Amino acid sequence: MWLFALPALLVNVCIILIPGLLTLAAAFFFWDGVGTPVWAGLANFQGLFEDPVFWSALTNNFIWTAIFLIIPMCLAVVMAAALMIAPRSRIVVQSIIFLPRILAAAITGRIFQGMIFSPTTGLVGWLNGLGFSISDPLADPDRSLYAVAAVDIWHWWGFLAVVFFAAMRQISVDQIEAARLDGAGFFALLRYVLLPGIQPTLVLMMILTVIWSFQVFEFIYIVTQGGPAYGSEVLATLAYRNAFFNGDVGKATAAACVMSLFGLCATSVYIWLQSRDGAHAA
Amino acid sequence: MAQDGRKVVTFWFAQANSDGQAALRSNLVDAFNASQDKHLLQLEVKGAAVNNLLKVALVAGNGPDIVQTSGPSYLTAIANAGQVLPLDEFAARYKWRERFLPALLNTGIYGEKLYALPRDYESMHLFYNKQLFGQNGWTLPTNRAEFELLADAALAKGIIPFGAGNADWKGVNEWLMTVFFNNVAGPDNVRKELSGELPWTAPPFAEAVELSRAWYNKGYFGKNYFSLTIEQSFLQVVNGKAAMAMGGTWAFGTKSYGMSKPDTVMDVAPIAGLSDRVTAPLVHLACGATLSIAKNSQNAEGAAAVFEFMLSRKFYENMNRDWPGKWALPVKDLPPDLLKGIGYPLFEKTIAGLHEAFSGGRFGFTTWTFWPNASNGYIIEGIEQVWLNRITTEAFLNRLQTVFSQEFKEGKVPPLPPRTA
Repeated sequence: MWLFALPALLVNVCIILIPGLLTLAAAFFFWDGVGTPVWAGLANFQGLFEDPVFWSALTNNFIWTAIFLIIPMCLAVVMAAALMIAPRSRIVVQSIIFLPRILAAAITGRIFQGMIFSPTTGLVGWLNGLGFSISDPLADPDRSLYAVAAVDIWHWWGFLAVVFFAAMRQISVDQIEAARLDGAGFFALLRYVLLPGIQPTLVLMMILTVIWSFQVFEFIYIVTQGGPAYGSEVLATLAYRNAFFNGDVGKATAAACVMSLFGLCATSVYIWLQSRDGAHAA
Repeated sequence: MAQDGRKVVTFWFAQANSDGQAALRSNLVDAFNASQDKHLLQLEVKGAAVNNLLKVALVAGNGPDIVQTSGPSYLTAIANAGQVLPLDEFAARYKWRERFLPALLNTGIYGEKLYALPRDYESMHLFYNKQLFGQNGWTLPTNRAEFELLADAALAKGIIPFGAGNADWKGVNEWLMTVFFNNVAGPDNVRKELSGELPWTAPPFAEAVELSRAWYNKGYFGKNYFSLTIEQSFLQVVNGKAAMAMGGTWAFGTKSYGMSKPDTVMDVAPIAGLSDRVTAPLVHLACGATLSIAKNSQNAEGAAAVFEFMLSRKFYENMNRDWPGKWALPVKDLPPDLLKGIGYPLFEKTIAGLHEAFSGGRFGFTTWTFWPNASNGYIIEGIEQVWLNRITTEAFLNRLQTVFSQEFKEGKVPPLPPRTA
């Protein structure tokens, strides 16, 4: 049987495991990316942990994770449930909410940067012209992370809603009808029928959200480059800057290892849950 | 090998706007290929990520023949790693050492060997709206007090003193800090610091950083520094919404900035000293790009022939006419008066001024040319924390000193040319 898995396994070993191990090894060397690596022991990790920017980046990753575990999840669940009870609008609504997902991150980023947040060309500037005093959140280190998260949520929640809707459609129609005959309103239906019915999908998406939140890079790099004043810096932007601008590949890979550690934890939880469910099913 | 028996020379170019790409195709690629029948130049415009691509490709042995970096601070790691060839043999044949301005050529010399030729020279300058100055009776500031008087007067009239914005390129931070470090602390102190004779925490640098923080917090750079792109902020000056901009001489080559030739609105000048240490306007020595030959090049002869072609008068005139500011080769026998007649008086006078100052050793040092990578990176990122009052000037300079001393110890500081007082 394992022969069927061999091609995929080989590809994964070549393009994930080996580069992953090399990355792990690079964290223990001083290397500028072109010269000869020099053994560093734990110095790269020590340098990373002594850098206050690392801790603020790590904190931002946790904030990002919390935001994405709550806001898009809630929006998506409510929208999916609404689609379940309003079948006539399904096609149009699904198309609209899924649209941001097919736009390239660079385009989405530029739309929000130039057409929404910009004080000269965007909605913010227009509102200022009307007398409202609103500043560009991307220019404020205390708000820039939340502003970029808003961009990513706009891009992401529709996809989640479609996934949850697909899962809800697997729930027995009889069960839903029975609940409605018993007088269950929208939120009661959601609470007692739909959410329990999509629990495995919900858990999977939450675990994937944790993994993706520690890998987040593109929207932050496109919109704020981690700034201003490191306000929206996360581990991936920190690693990228160290590797490609500061010429410190060792420190960059140390940061990448920390990112992977959190991804590994989330993956372990997922595998444990799967094995537990498998044991219960057996 | 190309079909007609010519040997191919590959060249990766970084960013080029549409004018620049057209100029490169006609004035470099087509003209070089038509000028001889041994080599075939093939050029690819790779975009902003070229420095990263280049490093990976060179380590893998698959880089282009011509290695162009974004300046000496990028070149240092590549040269130290032996990824580019010493050019001394070609330099002797073509007399490059005698022809280039020493201050610029020095940036490509590591341990007595020449590893790169400078492609251009640049400097920070003060671009200002002379119409606006005339209407308000303002004159070009000659010291810090005059700058501040003018800036306060501009603010009182609702005019932004300095058009500035880094929304699309954080490197704008280092452009400004190049001015503050040199024009406040003085170029001799900067050179001492880069030579390891003076720490970053010394009072002249603290004064420079403090002044930058004070100007930012007074609103001299406008309210939207972090929201505006370079182009938007420069257009503020051209449109009279801002009075001045501290910008690089490469601005001449970007039509969308709104300058015209000849220009009735804008004028340009070296930036005045901002402390008692700097009493005259100062230009800042910058090399925006270096040219080397890859260690694994299959056609080093061809690459050298391309370099020699670039030193021709015809190429110099054509490139500076079609893409001003990007290819100001620092070569003694290409005097700036060759540019008279291209119909761009502001550019002509700026290049003439730079040529004279750089030939005479009177210049400051730009961060993107002479600072090692991590120190430069910290200036770009960390100074925002100072401006936004997240950390103190002292904390910023302490951190900078820590990062710099490590890089200095590792030999990562690019070669420093001597200067005269």
